Amino acid sequence: MKNSSKLVSFLVPVISILLAFIIGCVIMAILGANPFVALQSLWIGAFGSLRNVGTTLARSTPLIFTGLCACFAYRCGVFNLGGEGQFLMGSIVCCYIATQSGIEGLPAILLCLVAGAVAGGLWALIAGLLKVYRGQNEMIITIMLNYVATLFMGVVYTNWLRDGSVPQTVSVPDSTKLSRLFGLRVTTAFVLALVAGLLVYYFLFYTSKGFQLRAVGLNMTAAQFNGFAVKRYILMSFIVSGAIAGLGGSAELLGTQFRLINGFGSGYGFDGVAMALIGQLHPLATIVVAIFFAALRVGSTTMQAATGVPTSVSDIIQALVIVFTVAGLAMVKLPQFKAFLGRLTDKKQKEAA
Amino acid sequence: MKKLFALLLTLAMVLSLAACGGGKTEAPAASGDKPAATETEKPADSGKTYKVAMICDSSISDGGWGMACYNAMIAAAEKYGWETAYSDSIDQSAYYDNIVSYCDLGYDLIYAPGNQYTDAVLQAAEEYPDIAFALLNGAESTPAKAVNSNVTSLLPNATQIGWIAGALAGLMTETNTIAFIGGMELDTTKGKYEGYKEAAAYVGAQEGKDVKTLDIVYSNSFSASDKGIEFAKAMMDQGADVFFGDASAVDSGARQAIDEANAASGSVKVYDIAQPSDSLGQNECIICSQVTDNSGLVGLSMEAVENGTFGGETIYGTLQNGVLSAGAISDLVPSEIAEKYQGYLDQMTNDTFMK
Amino acid sequence: MEFAMNVILSSVRMATPLIFLALAELYSQRAGLVHIGLEGLAAIGSLSGFLVSLITGSPLLGVAAGAAVGILVNMIYAYATINLCAEQIVYGMAINIFAPALAAFIYRVYFGAGSELVQVGLMNSLASMLGVTPTSFIGKLFLEQTPMVYLAYALVIFTAIYFNKTKSGLNYKAVGEYPKAAATLGINVVGVKYVACVICGALAGMGGAYLTTCYTTTYTDGNVAGRGFIALAAVIFGRWSAGGVLLACLFFGFCDALQIRLQVSSYGVPYQFFQMIPYIATVVVLAVIGMKKAGPKGVGKPYLREER
Repeated sequence: MKNSSKLVSFLVPVISILLAFIIGCVIMAILGANPFVALQSLWIGAFGSLRNVGTTLARSTPLIFTGLCACFAYRCGVFNLGGEGQFLMGSIVCCYIATQSGIEGLPAILLCLVAGAVAGGLWALIAGLLKVYRGQNEMIITIMLNYVATLFMGVVYTNWLRDGSVPQTVSVPDSTKLSRLFGLRVTTAFVLALVAGLLVYYFLFYTSKGFQLRAVGLNMTAAQFNGFAVKRYILMSFIVSGAIAGLGGSAELLGTQFRLINGFGSGYGFDGVAMALIGQLHPLATIVVAIFFAALRVGSTTMQAATGVPTSVSDIIQALVIVFTVAGLAMVKLPQFKAFLGRLTDKKQKEAA
Repeated sequence: MKKLFALLLTLAMVLSLAACGGGKTEAPAASGDKPAATETEKPADSGKTYKVAMICDSSISDGGWGMACYNAMIAAAEKYGWETAYSDSIDQSAYYDNIVSYCDLGYDLIYAPGNQYTDAVLQAAEEYPDIAFALLNGAESTPAKAVNSNVTSLLPNATQIGWIAGALAGLMTETNTIAFIGGMELDTTKGKYEGYKEAAAYVGAQEGKDVKTLDIVYSNSFSASDKGIEFAKAMMDQGADVFFGDASAVDSGARQAIDEANAASGSVKVYDIAQPSDSLGQNECIICSQVTDNSGLVGLSMEAVENGTFGGETIYGTLQNGVLSAGAISDLVPSEIAEKYQGYLDQMTNDTFMK
Repeated sequence: MEFAMNVILSSVRMATPLIFLALAELYSQRAGLVHIGLEGLAAIGSLSGFLVSLITGSPLLGVAAGAAVGILVNMIYAYATINLCAEQIVYGMAINIFAPALAAFIYRVYFGAGSELVQVGLMNSLASMLGVTPTSFIGKLFLEQTPMVYLAYALVIFTAIYFNKTKSGLNYKAVGEYPKAAATLGINVVGVKYVACVICGALAGMGGAYLTTCYTTTYTDGNVAGRGFIALAAVIFGRWSAGGVLLACLFFGFCDALQIRLQVSSYGVPYQFFQMIPYIATVVVLAVIGMKKAGPKGVGKPYLREER
C-alpha cells in the first residue's frame, strides 16, 4: 500500500506533464507549427548543451528558494503567499549593502546574504505577528505586502539608488558578484539553494523541532492540546520561510541580475508556491520541480524562437501542468480513490497468492 | 484506473474545448500569427539571407511602443530582404535567455528596443562576438562598453521629439496650459518632456502667450489605459488643453478621455499629439503626430551588418537625417498656424530654433 | 470643492469594477471557497467582452460574453476544488497563470502581430440614453454612469438582503460556515458550492468585461492590473458583508483616484508611495481592527462527504 501510494504521487505529476504537453502540441498544430520540431527545440534549449544546462540551473535558483520558502511555511500550516515580497525585501537590503557600504569581496557577499535573509524574515514577521496576535488571515496580508514591496523596490530603483538613464539601480561591484560554476551562467547561488534545501529537509524530517513543526501544520488544535508552543512555531515558520526567500533575493541579485530593475523577481513568489505543492511539500522534490519548470521556461524561449509560436503557449503549458498536477494530487487523496487503490492491490495480492 | 482517466480526460476536454472555441473564431487570422518565420524574397544578388530577431518586454500588439518597434523591424526587413523573428511579453529575468536563443539559432542581428535590455545585450554580445546587437534608445556610452564592439545604440533625439510636439502645443493652446503623460521614469521620457516644455514656452512667448506645462506624471506601466483616462481627466480639470505622451496604451486611454470631454462640450477644444507613428484619424482629438522612423535606424544597422561595418557606434535619429518628423496635420489646426508650425520645424532642421 | 467633486466622480468610476470582483469573491467565500483567481477570470472576461462587443457592436452582449466565459473558466476551479478537494489557493493561482495566458494568446491569434490599435465603442451612459447633459455635480454623479454601475449597486443591495433576510441566503451562508451541519439539515452542500462558482465566475467575468465595454476602448494584456487582489482585500476589509464590501471598494477607488490627482498637482514625492496607499491601508486597518476572524469558518477547507 505504501509503495503504491508513493508510485501514485510520482505518477500524477508525470501524467499531468504529459497531458499538458499533449494539449500544448494540439494548440501548436492548430497554429500550423510542427509540434515535434517544437518539442525538440524545447529540449535542446533546456539541456542541449552544457551551457544551456547552466542557464537552466541559473533560472531554477530563485524558484528553488521561493519554493523552499513556501514548502517550509506550509509544513507548519501557514499560508505564506508573500514569498515574492520577502524575496524583494531581501534583494533591496542586499543591494543597499553591496552598492553603498563600500565593503567589497567575500565579506560583502557574506554580509549581503545574511542581511538579505534577515530582511526577508522581518518582512514575513509582519504577517506572522498580525496572524498570531490580531487573528488576521496571513494570505491577504502577505499578498498586500507583496505589492508594497514591489512598489517600494520601484522607489529604490527610480529614485534612491538610480543609475543613469533607465530606472534601475547601480550594479553590484564585480568583486561582490557570486562566482560562476565552470564558466557557465549558473553560480554558487545554486549551490546555496541546494544546501538550503538539504538543511530544510534535515530540519523537517530529522529533528524533534521539525517534527513538532509538522505536527502543528497537520493539526493545530491537537498540537496545542499536546502542549506545543503553537504561536512560537507559527512565528518561527514565518521568519524562517521569509529568510529563505530573502536569501534567495540576495543570491539572485549577487548571482544573476546584479541590479534592481523593473520586473525583478516578478511572479517568483507564486511560482514557488506552485513548485512546493507539485513537489508535495517535500523540500528535495521541490528542488526537482523547480529545475523542471526552469527547463520549461528556458526551453520555451528556444521553442518560440525556432517555431514562432507565441510565448503565451508555453505559459499555457506551464499553467496546465499546475492545473493537472494539483487536481491529480488532490484526487488521489480522496477517500474514494484510496479505497479504489486498496481494492486494486488486494486483488493483486490475491492473484499472487 | 478507469476513474482516474475519466476525470483527467474530462479536465483535458474542458480545456481543449476552451482552446478550440478560441481557435475557431480566429481561423481567418491564424495564418497571420507566424511572422516569426516570415519568408521575405531573397534578393537575387546575394547568396545569404540575413536574419534579424527582436525581443520586447511588452506585447507587439499593444497599439503603442511594441507595435511601432515591431513594424519598424518589418519595414526595414522588407526593404533589405531580411528574415525576421520576435519574442514579446518576456519577463525581465528572461531577456538574456531570449537573446541567447536567437544567437544560437544563427541570427545575424538582435534588435532590442529599449535601454532596459542593456545588461542582457552587453553580456550576450561578449559571448557572441560575431553577432550584431542594435539597442534602440540605448545610451551613448553603451557601445564603448561592448568588448567585441558589436553593439550599436540607436538613439532618436529626445529633445527634438519634445520640440516637435511642444512647438505645435504652444501654438494651439488657448488655456496656456499643456500636459505630458509619461510611462516609466526613463531619461528619454524626461528629455522629451523637457523639450516639449521649452519649445512650448518659447513658441508661446513668440505668440505673446505665457504657456505653462503641467508637471510630468508617470503611469508606471505602458499598458494601464485606465490610468491614462484618469490622468487626462485630472489634467483637464487643471486646465490642460494640449496633450503629449510617451506611454503607449496609456496614451490611448488619455485620448479616449479627451474625446469624451470634447463630445460633452460639443466641440473639439482639447487636443492630443500622438507618437511615435502617424496616427492621425485614430482619435478625433489627434491634431498631429510626432513621427519617429525607427525603421530607418534599424535599416542603417542592417546595411552595416551586410557591409561588415557594424559596431561600436551610436546612430542618432534626428530631424536632420529624417528619422524624426512631424506627421500629417488635422483640419482642426488653422492653416496659418500650420504654416507657422512648418516655419518652426524648418528652424529646428536648420538648427536655428530658439537661437 | 471642485477638486473634491472630481475625486468623488473618479472614485465611483474606479470602484465599479472592484465592486463586481469583490462581490464575486464574497459569493465564493460565503460558500466556503476562497478564490484568489479573480485576476485571471477578469482577464479572460475582459478579452471576451472586448471581442464580442467588437464583433457584434453591442457592449451589452460583450458583458454577457464576459460573464459566460468567466463561468466556463471557473468551472475548472469548481470541479477541482469541490469534487477533487484540491487546494483552493493553489487552484486560484493556477487560474491566474492560465487565464491571462489564454487571453493574451487569443488576442494575438485573432488580431495578428503588430496590428493597428483596435478600439471598440463603449456602453452609453444613462444620461446620453435619456438625452440629457447633466451639468451639476449631483446630476453627473447619478446620471452620467453606464447601466453597469447601477447594476453593481443594485447587486450590492440584493446581496445584502439575500444573505441576511432570506432563508435561501442563510442556507447558503451555512454552507460556508459549517458544511457538515448544513448537510445534515438537508442542504445540498455541493450544489450550493457549484452555484457559488457560477455566480463568482459570472461576476468576475463581468467585472473584467466592464473594463473593456464601459471604461477603456482598448484591450491590453494585463489591463486588470491587480484589481482581483484588491477585491480580495475588499472582501476581508469589508468583513464579508455586502455593505462593508461596497464601502471597502469605494475606499480603494477613492485612494486610487486621490493618488492620481495628487500626482498631477504635486511633484517630488515618488509616485510609488501614492500607489501603495490601498495596500498599506488594508494592512493597517486589518491590524487596527484586529478582531477575531469574522469570515466564514469553513473557508478554504475541503468538504468531504464521506467524513460525515
